[in-house]
Amino acid sequence: MPSRRDLVALAAAGLALTAYPASAGAAENETLDELVRRVTDGAAPAETGVTLDIPALVENGNSVDVRIAVDSPMTEAEHVRWIHLIADRNPFPDMARIHLSPRAGLAEVATTLRLAQSQTVAAVVAHSDGRYAIAKAPVVVTLSACIDGG
Amino acid sequence: MFNARITVPPQAKAGDIVEIKVLMRHPMDRGGQSDGKGGIVPRKILNRMTATYAGAEIIRFDMHTGVAANPFISFRTRAVETGDIVFEWREDGGATYTRSARLTVA
Repeated sequence: MPSRRDLVALAAAGLALTAYPASAGAAENETLDELVRRVTDGAAPAETGVTLDIPALVENGNSVDVRIAVDSPMTEAEHVRWIHLIADRNPFPDMARIHLSPRAGLAEVATTLRLAQSQTVAAVVAHSDGRYAIAKAPVVVTLSACIDGG
Repeated sequence: MFNARITVPPQAKAGDIVEIKVLMRHPMDRGGQSDGKGGIVPRKILNRMTATYAGAEIIRFDMHTGVAANPFISFRTRAVETGDIVFEWREDGGATYTRSARLTVA
């Protein structure tokens, strides 16, 4: 039979746990911004011209289909240099970088990602003229990928 | 350990934009787990795939641990001439693999 003191301690721990997600959420946005600015050399990317197609809810984070399409003529003068995929709550947030050349003809790629938990996925695009663009999408993962060690 | 299934359209007209799909077979071991003998398992993933066609690189796919096991990639290219699309992979530890797929342009 737990004593009254034990019960009070448990209740306090429960309160601490419920209070935690709110502060973690605030830190998450800041971290995602920081991660984005690191790949754009500090520039703020425009939120236009990028389509990020990823399911809003996935049962399993081990393999999540994603499709990225960028509005770009893909000519020698004006093309997409790379698409960088970030998941700020993954143990290693930089998931992949896809470098494209004008020979691709169309800036549309698809791949499969690992998501450790529910989070916002960002696709950062570097255009050949030095502009950056971004698209973000929240993904809820009900069964996470085992990529955080152990 | 490694294999790849590459899908290209059976035929294309010059100037067409075609989709190329690649399914790799690889565990993409992220490492970091205990090996049961006091050490940790090193990371062993495919860290890069490149595809070259008609003398130019179309795509370079740099992969980290956030790419799923048995990774899939789909991309586009403009059909210019009949020729091989040559793929090269680089694995942690220095191993490389190559495959090619022929694109027939009418």
